Amino acid sequence: MRYPFSVGRSDFIQGDEAIARAAILAGCRFYAGYPITPASEIFEAMALYMPLVDGVSIQMEDELGSIAAVIGASWTGAKAMTATSGPGFSLMMENLGYAVMTETPMVVVDVQRGGPSTGQPTLAAQGDVMQAIWGTHGDHSIIVLTPATVQEAFDMTIRAFNLAEKYRTPVVLLTDGEVGHMRERVNIPDPDEIERIYRKIPKSKEQGKYPFRDWDGDGVPPMPVFGRGYRAYITGLTHDERGKPKTVEAEIHESLIRRIVDKIEKNKKDIIDYETFDLDDADVAIVSYGIASRSAIRAVKILRKEGIKAGLLKLNVVWPFDFEMIERIAERVNRIYVAEMNLGQVYHLVKEGANGKAEVELIPKIGGEVHTPKDIIERVR
Amino acid sequence: MTQIRIAGFGGQGVILAGVILGEAAAIEGLNVLQTQDYGSQSRGGHSVADVIISREPLYDVMVTKADVLMAMSQIGYNGAIDSLREGGTLIIDTDLVKSDREFIGAPFTRLAEEKVGLALTVNMVALGYLVAKTGIVKKESVEEAIRRRVPRGTEEINLKAFRIGYEEGVK
Amino acid sequence: MYLESSYKIRDKYLRTDMLPTMFCPGCGIGSVLQFTLRSIEELGWKQDEVVWVSGIGCSSRVPGYVNFDGLHTTHGRALAFATGIKMANPDLKVVVFAGDGDMSAIGGNHFIHAIRRNLDVTVILINNFTYGMTGGQVAPTALKGLKGTTAPYGNFENPFDISQLAVAAGANYVARWSVFNYVQGMNSIKKALQKKGFSLVEFLSPCPVSFGRRNRMKTAPELIRWYQKITVPISKAKKMSPEELEGKVIIGEFVDRDRPSLDEEYERYKERAKKLMGWEE
Repeated sequence: MRYPFSVGRSDFIQGDEAIARAAILAGCRFYAGYPITPASEIFEAMALYMPLVDGVSIQMEDELGSIAAVIGASWTGAKAMTATSGPGFSLMMENLGYAVMTETPMVVVDVQRGGPSTGQPTLAAQGDVMQAIWGTHGDHSIIVLTPATVQEAFDMTIRAFNLAEKYRTPVVLLTDGEVGHMRERVNIPDPDEIERIYRKIPKSKEQGKYPFRDWDGDGVPPMPVFGRGYRAYITGLTHDERGKPKTVEAEIHESLIRRIVDKIEKNKKDIIDYETFDLDDADVAIVSYGIASRSAIRAVKILRKEGIKAGLLKLNVVWPFDFEMIERIAERVNRIYVAEMNLGQVYHLVKEGANGKAEVELIPKIGGEVHTPKDIIERVR
Repeated sequence: MTQIRIAGFGGQGVILAGVILGEAAAIEGLNVLQTQDYGSQSRGGHSVADVIISREPLYDVMVTKADVLMAMSQIGYNGAIDSLREGGTLIIDTDLVKSDREFIGAPFTRLAEEKVGLALTVNMVALGYLVAKTGIVKKESVEEAIRRRVPRGTEEINLKAFRIGYEEGVK
Repeated sequence: MYLESSYKIRDKYLRTDMLPTMFCPGCGIGSVLQFTLRSIEELGWKQDEVVWVSGIGCSSRVPGYVNFDGLHTTHGRALAFATGIKMANPDLKVVVFAGDGDMSAIGGNHFIHAIRRNLDVTVILINNFTYGMTGGQVAPTALKGLKGTTAPYGNFENPFDISQLAVAAGANYVARWSVFNYVQGMNSIKKALQKKGFSLVEFLSPCPVSFGRRNRMKTAPELIRWYQKITVPISKAKKMSPEELEGKVIIGEFVDRDRPSLDEEYERYKERAKKLMGWEE
């Protein structure tokens, strides 16, 4: 299999470019998008590469169309992705919920920028976290990944596809304009060394007839991809295991929604990913994710040199969220600081998790400039 | 770790210079981060490229205290001079920038026009000078990076400009 | 014209475990569905190769009742989903079944662009001048003066002529009939299904409960007689003045051409790309 970019070595590229290459290496062969700063580079890279690997890259009339086309493509068996930023992400909310309800594997990249509304198109922010988790209406659970470096943007894109396929769910790769446009050295592995997961396919016509039954007991039904004789009916209405709309029976709705939510929530251990820096013996904990966490790493090193026992919890996945882990940290430390580029989003999750066992304070920063280590150090001292 | 900031105005090729410097470091297997900042005008607004190079894993996101500041125009200098740390190296285009701090430099734009024959290559001249004076990356790495990054067909003239700047720096 | 036994069509093409349908007595959707299924039967299409896509509304419930792969999507977005399906697997035949509110209001933008791209899809459009599922609100296709719950004193806006819109946007085949023109309707559907590129067959269809009732036509026969009064075949319309055509709906085949479809163009695009990048075999 020939790739339109070098593999098996490292390259000096932007985050957006890394995401596109990772998607193609993960097996993505359908991309639909709409131009938006600072995500257009992902689209442009996909547009360059897709025709060469016999994939499809198409510009839809708007973001609603983009995510719709991606979902449609996924139902023919293709791994599919779209990328956008705040304003486009808002437009995608309805269909994101449709993907959750129909259990469609797909990846949505949100390269966050200053918001709300048109905001600061060219500057980074982390203001879409709660929207990524809760933005679509109704009870649901979704996977949200937060890379902080260009290498992580690459690695987490591959992980995003694997999680989407494994759990038959949309996955949001929540990055930002800074990671998207900065250049770093990225190791691009040999394609043969990459682990790629593909969705479960029905093992029989009987299984295909019930596209929403938990045949294997792991909460994830096999996906009756179109065109193979399963005659599946997929709808966003509340449905029974057959796919038949059953909108007024409470038990049917409850069992469907609980299974869809539990798919993610009961598999937290497998999905959640984080790193700690000097956290084991810390008196003060800092929680951060994405671009802000990089300055936090530097801040912890400097604080330790000053004799302050600071430690960092760097989240690589902000949903599902490990509330118990936060409580265990809160039991050991005096204070917890949450450093994020918004006016407090993951802060509330941490505060809830701490359960009163430690004081939780927010180190916010908005306006487009990333936290400097000094911003964090001065608050912690 | 070395923090380098290149500042100028839109149209001087500041960003490309930063990208090439970063690529050169990557070619040598160093850890490197490159970011940029610019106004929306295609020509004339401020333009800044940051390059941070280190042997250890890099967590920084931006230049906080530059070890090297290269100002290719007065507007670039004015905006960036506060980020240069005490004792840091200040490189300027001696024709275009006035500074009351200690500096080294050369008339990059004039060299580009007269010795290279194309004012547009001022960024490569300046980069050559910077690489010669700081030794942050090897000359050969930059030349390889230039071949990879400049528009096809312009490799020769850009390499020429780089070497002229480099020789100026070695003097 | 020979018609197969309806029992045969029913047994082969309807999902009996999803019945009964939710359509009202007198609704025209069932008829149009029958025309479509009979056309597919006559063309001898393989059921496993066909995917039905719909949006939201009474018409959009149809994929749930038929024995094919079906995607019942969000309001107005059927054509966007269909674009993904067709482009990711061009071997699949895509049929979009939707209503006038879904397609021309919220879905207007996707409608225009799918036609502009000449996506290879057949749209069967039920036009009942209303939003039937939600109780009879006025739709962009309603002729001036017709009543809806959100325009209780008579529609004050100009209506869309969806078929003309499709012609202007570049569709390969566009036809409009009313449900009682069943022979022409089925012939058009057969033509549309076989046509590569975008094809639209629009049907004026009675909705006695949500629409007819508010417009003094409580039963389907009254609505159908009204269609007979207001519809004019193209050949006749050519000889009529604009004043004579006020309040009339023209029926017939509006365009029948063979511009290249989106997937055909994309194949050529891929070849171009590989050639430009030196990737040919």
